[in-house]
Amino acid sequence: MKKIIILSFVLVLILMSSCNDDFLERPPQGSIAVGSYPSTSNEAIAATNAVYNTLRIWQFNSGGFPLLDIMSDEARKGSNPGDGTSVVPFDNFTYTPTEGGIENWYRTLYLGIRRSYLVLESVPSIEMDDDLKTRLIAETRFLLGYFYSLLVRGFGDVPLVTSSVPPTILSRTASEEIYQQIIFPDLEFAADNLPKKSEYSNDDIGRITSGAAKALLARLYLYRKDYTNAEKYSLEVINSLEYGLESNFADAFSVAGEFGTESVFEIGALPYGSLSLGGNQYANTQGVRGTPNYGWGFARPSYQWITDMMNDTDPRIEPSIIFLNEVIDDIVIVGDPITPDTTYTDASNTQILEIEAYNQKVYAGTSNQDQWGHNRRIIRYADVLLMAAEALNENNKPNDALVYINEVRSRARAGNLGVLPDIVTTDKSQLRNAIYNERAKELFMEGLRFWDLIRTDRAESILGPLGFIKDKNEIFPIPQSEIDISGGVIIQNPNY
Amino acid sequence: MCKSNNQTYRTDVSSSFFVFNKGTSKLYFFTLLIISISSFLQAQNRQVSGTVKDAISSDPLPGATVFVKGTTNGTVTDIDGNFNINASPSDTIVVTFVGFTNQEFTPGNQTLFNILLKEDLKQLDEIVVIGYGTVRKSDLTGSVSSVKNEELIKSPASDPVNSMQGKVAGLQILSGGEPGTESYVRLRGINTLNNNKVLYVVDGVIINDDNNVNKGISFLNSQDIESIEVLKDASAKAIFGTRGANGVIIVTTKKSKGEATFNFSADYGVEKMSHKIELMNGKEFAQFINAAEPGTYNNIDALPNVDWQELVYEEWTPIQNYTLSASGSTDKLNYYISGGYYSQKGILPKSDFDRFTLKFNNTYQVKEYLKIGTSLTGFATTKQNPPGVINTVYWAWPINEPYNSDGTFAEVLGSANPLAAIEYTNSNKNEFRAIGNVYAEIKFLKDFKFKSSYQFDVSNSKSKSFTPVFYVAPLQLNEESDISVTFNETRKWIFENTLNYNKEFGEHRLDAIIGYTAQEDVWEFISGSRVNVLGESPDLWYLHSGSSDETQNDNYASLSALTSILFRANYAFADRYIATLTFRRDGSSKFGINNRYANFPAIALGWNISNEAFFPKDLIIDKLKVRASWGVNGNEKINYLDQYSYLSTGYDAVFGTNQSLNSGVTYSGQPGNPDLKWETTTEYDLGIEFGLFKSKLTGELDYYDRLTSDILVKLTLPGFAGAGVGVKKTFNAADVRNSGFEFVLNWQDEIGNITYGLGLNGNINNNQVEGLGEGIPGAGDNIPDGYLGNGKNVTITEVGQPIGYFYGYKVIGVFQNADQLSSTPHLSTQSVGDFIYQDTNNDGTLDANDRTYIGSWIPKFVYGFNANIGFKGLSLNLDFAGQSGNDIYNGKQTLQHSTLNHEVKFINRWTGEGTSNTDPRASIGGANYEPSDYFIEDASFLKLRTVTLSYALPNSIVEKIKMQSLSVFVRGTDLWIMTNYSGYTAEIGSGDSALGGVIDLGVYPTTKVISGGLNLRF
Repeated sequence: MKKIIILSFVLVLILMSSCNDDFLERPPQGSIAVGSYPSTSNEAIAATNAVYNTLRIWQFNSGGFPLLDIMSDEARKGSNPGDGTSVVPFDNFTYTPTEGGIENWYRTLYLGIRRSYLVLESVPSIEMDDDLKTRLIAETRFLLGYFYSLLVRGFGDVPLVTSSVPPTILSRTASEEIYQQIIFPDLEFAADNLPKKSEYSNDDIGRITSGAAKALLARLYLYRKDYTNAEKYSLEVINSLEYGLESNFADAFSVAGEFGTESVFEIGALPYGSLSLGGNQYANTQGVRGTPNYGWGFARPSYQWITDMMNDTDPRIEPSIIFLNEVIDDIVIVGDPITPDTTYTDASNTQILEIEAYNQKVYAGTSNQDQWGHNRRIIRYADVLLMAAEALNENNKPNDALVYINEVRSRARAGNLGVLPDIVTTDKSQLRNAIYNERAKELFMEGLRFWDLIRTDRAESILGPLGFIKDKNEIFPIPQSEIDISGGVIIQNPNY
Repeated sequence: MCKSNNQTYRTDVSSSFFVFNKGTSKLYFFTLLIISISSFLQAQNRQVSGTVKDAISSDPLPGATVFVKGTTNGTVTDIDGNFNINASPSDTIVVTFVGFTNQEFTPGNQTLFNILLKEDLKQLDEIVVIGYGTVRKSDLTGSVSSVKNEELIKSPASDPVNSMQGKVAGLQILSGGEPGTESYVRLRGINTLNNNKVLYVVDGVIINDDNNVNKGISFLNSQDIESIEVLKDASAKAIFGTRGANGVIIVTTKKSKGEATFNFSADYGVEKMSHKIELMNGKEFAQFINAAEPGTYNNIDALPNVDWQELVYEEWTPIQNYTLSASGSTDKLNYYISGGYYSQKGILPKSDFDRFTLKFNNTYQVKEYLKIGTSLTGFATTKQNPPGVINTVYWAWPINEPYNSDGTFAEVLGSANPLAAIEYTNSNKNEFRAIGNVYAEIKFLKDFKFKSSYQFDVSNSKSKSFTPVFYVAPLQLNEESDISVTFNETRKWIFENTLNYNKEFGEHRLDAIIGYTAQEDVWEFISGSRVNVLGESPDLWYLHSGSSDETQNDNYASLSALTSILFRANYAFADRYIATLTFRRDGSSKFGINNRYANFPAIALGWNISNEAFFPKDLIIDKLKVRASWGVNGNEKINYLDQYSYLSTGYDAVFGTNQSLNSGVTYSGQPGNPDLKWETTTEYDLGIEFGLFKSKLTGELDYYDRLTSDILVKLTLPGFAGAGVGVKKTFNAADVRNSGFEFVLNWQDEIGNITYGLGLNGNINNNQVEGLGEGIPGAGDNIPDGYLGNGKNVTITEVGQPIGYFYGYKVIGVFQNADQLSSTPHLSTQSVGDFIYQDTNNDGTLDANDRTYIGSWIPKFVYGFNANIGFKGLSLNLDFAGQSGNDIYNGKQTLQHSTLNHEVKFINRWTGEGTSNTDPRASIGGANYEPSDYFIEDASFLKLRTVTLSYALPNSIVEKIKMQSLSVFVRGTDLWIMTNYSGYTAEIGSGDSALGGVIDLGVYPTTKVISGGLNLRF
């Protein structure tokens, strides 16, 4: 008996002391280790879709809050005075490199870049339909170029990452080099290789088109004052005949107008309160605060803009702004009880500073969740027309420019022939101002105004009273964390 | 055991074959083994009886074992020391009793015996439990502290480890206020930037607690615990290899000590918040707002004044604890069975906690050479997850009434209406856990012992939360009712085989063990949620009751495996010279393929000087021992995924005219590091133990120095790495040194009928980061952490400083006027009445570079002392626990994301030139809320942990009511606390990562407890 026992455990011991390596191999559960994915056509599509997913991440929207609108003269911080005090520094240009919003935006853009490289490094070698392969690569290259364009416009020179596994230390690369090496080649590739909007199947509407690539190129060239290329690309979009203006101005942003004729680059979203279910918190962040509760109420339309529009009796004011006591879809807008309905600049309460009002362009329905379904329009056709008009005027083709600006004004008139008369001046400077003016009204609170003021050298005069400092606030500071981690290799922007 | 998933091994061993397959193989093997070697008992023929007594006092010895040698025939003496046993005249009868030398006799023709047992002085030497075995206290070479049951139950807690607060030198324990939560336990400072939790071993089963299920040993009932040993130095811990570095706490549960006995204990108490936070009242708040935003409130006196703390927290809520156990032993069987119930209501509504515990400890002497045993612990808890209103209460505006005139909840500004939040929060958690150890021990060749054990630790926990549709305010509402359910399951097995050699020859004593263990841990998580639930009744709190349109679900798992070889030899010569050699080799699946195996050696030496012949016998000092140890320990607490970069689903895009989700797959989680490995702690310890005045005064003094290197730490990657917001990557990057002194002094004596004792222990520790991975790409020269939730960080970890020290501006005054402002470096957003922050680098500008050391959360001194005095049956015990030299960042004061109520310290604010140079003007958010030492508070505390007055009824009374013993007690817990900290409690520990320091962002208040109860044995 004893011998058997002893023998048993000796054998057990021997048995146990071998082949540990297999036993100790425990791969990820429920996820797949990097290396083999994507390797099929469907996987290539999924990896590409995930790049688009970046566009719905809350922080993709200038770090979460509509900082760009708040930094312009179109909007103030919004919400009630005590809420979201971290946004205040953007309203008065006192933000510092440690502001969380800036860092979140910066990081999210690079997240999109890393996701792009997952596609660009793997898809070319997948055996699959060549047309689809080219399309996926072109879609991804567009998004990569777009992410970089936001980085260089927002932060100036930034680290240039060219693979999914970047070096651990990078210094900043001149923005011009990034334009030439990444942004323009990628967007041109996308413009040359992507389908037109009409060429996509119904199920694929919302994917990047050649028109979107050209429109973005026009926007970037305009920003760089390269009016020749801005004219070229905006006219190519116009002449493609793929786009038109919605007859009703409101439909340029409404749920009804989603992926409609005016949509050039639009982010699809579903009315559910989470990213993973398809929601986008962009509109919720700006939605009516209080009763009804559509959101947080950030970015309050500026009183100056409201009075300008009223003075012009511009019909676009109504579809652009939700006023208190307005009835929308049978619901009375009561607003936030804590937010004063009206605030004044002086003690005698004669000069109005702000009135409680909300951005109607992001309104997407009668519930909080509905706002998450708002499809953010990044580029719409009216913008393309105005870009064309501006470039043509700068290129001394005022008559051509007039066609496009008046096309926008004509729709804005909403059938009321007594307002917004056609612009007729061919004086370059007058027409330029008319176009600037038109952009301010048409593209109100679409995240464009701040950059328009920068690129047209009007920021100091218009935003100076709000706190804008020339040679500083044209770009954001590099997030302090990025500088800290780099151990000083990355250097801060001037004056921060 | 070697195998991988879904494989079956067949191995022929002798004539039987064993089927091994995952999870059940060992149990099956043992069942076979046990069955194959069991046999029948023999019968006997004649009755022999007698009495067993103490040879010196002549007191009868109940519970002594009497058996016929070489057989399994035996009995136990009754309460009067009497026994009856069947034996033949030629049998040898053995009488044994713990603490006495065995006696043998042959009955011959005599049938009645009077047996006198002598105390065995050698055996009286305390036995200390160490990893994979026990050792005589005198042969101990490492630093080990032992706390016995009697000490533990004097200061009970739902988490038994909390009973050791202030009782073990070097062990920092902090209580939490929330019912059913784990205590914070750290040994000898902060060993790593990563997870500093100690390792718990319960009856030989290594408890893992890194899977977010149940934590620590809160599943145990203090009443069931025999002793808790704390292994402190590297030599003692080395046998636990890659899991020992943070310290090891070994829990040994009760076994029977004799005849059949029942024990019943009852404890009923009530609790109340220890310390209320002083917040502004309605008027003070309105004045503050008016100061920040002039003209907001015109008629301050007409405003309501609501004390939210009064409205929300309850007073004198009950805590109950009952345990009933039965135990007994014969020469064959030893059993301990216990059931316990613990219930605590909590001072915050909906934070109830209930726990049932079960304990079975049985051993069977199957054959003389074979013992089998089982040790099983089971527990089941129900816990309500408290509504997250601690901060809401703190921030809520005192000028807002809780209810509207129609009785509905009113909007409360600042955060939310706390009463509504409580009303609409329904979240509870049920847990079940069973920990078992089934083993067989075979003695052979006289000195060898082979022990094979199969251990398991299985648990599941289910959490449910339901939120009805409600509307209180724009930011406090729920448009669609929702239900969410999560299940966590853990399954763990350990197969452990050890061979022990124990030999005494002459003056030599050798105890050696060699072993092999394998283990696997599986954790699986599943969750689901739905909206638009059919109704609000708890009968509908199931996913099935929700609409299927917005179903969300998830399910994932983690796996890890560990294999080890362990060895230890303890050699003692002449009770004077002792040496211990320890070695463990661990292979862990959590590390990259290049770093799979780690070796952990240790050596320790001891010298019992007082046992030397030359040691004078007439000194004050009667006991003196010195010991020294050196060794290497590891820490492998790290997510199994951290070595991998991986991709997941769930990154979908919305396309199509009928907009719908299109599946997206991309990078998920943190970028992986295939070179990851364990953390290594190298430690030496020098100790001296002494006894004075005939050992009435005993003491221990230790010096230790431990250097942890290759510390696993998640470093923030550069933004351009593309990991996204808040995603980090794990590296072996840092080095940390803890060094310090530990002392223990105990005085125990008696004067006439009065016994009394005094005890004192303490640990002075210095914590310093020595490296953050210079040369490791991506590692910076500091690690910012301590996120406040408002975009600011307040801790930083840097070489030459303690881990995660507080980092911010130093306030040196308040700007009194515009001239001072313009002539002093300041932040661009600052104005008159704001803090003057020190320009620490004297560069004439104030910026982020002027932030500096403003405090540390790591205590420099952790201590405890106790006093007891007894007179006849009456005894009084006082236990004190404290720590000092640490700070807390009062983060809840700084989180001013909107207009919130403030603590009263803001009343003494600057209101004009000359009014205050310490407190700033009223402002909402802004520069005064930058991280600064204004929010640092000294968190030192000293508290009366427990005061217990108990009375054991005299035997004369107890016997009349047919009991063995009966005692009653009244007790106060945390009745007196001395601290300057303004929050609910200074007992706040760091999170799982030490980098974040201790920031009070609102913690469940701790309480004072008054209780009473009884202990009954029959």
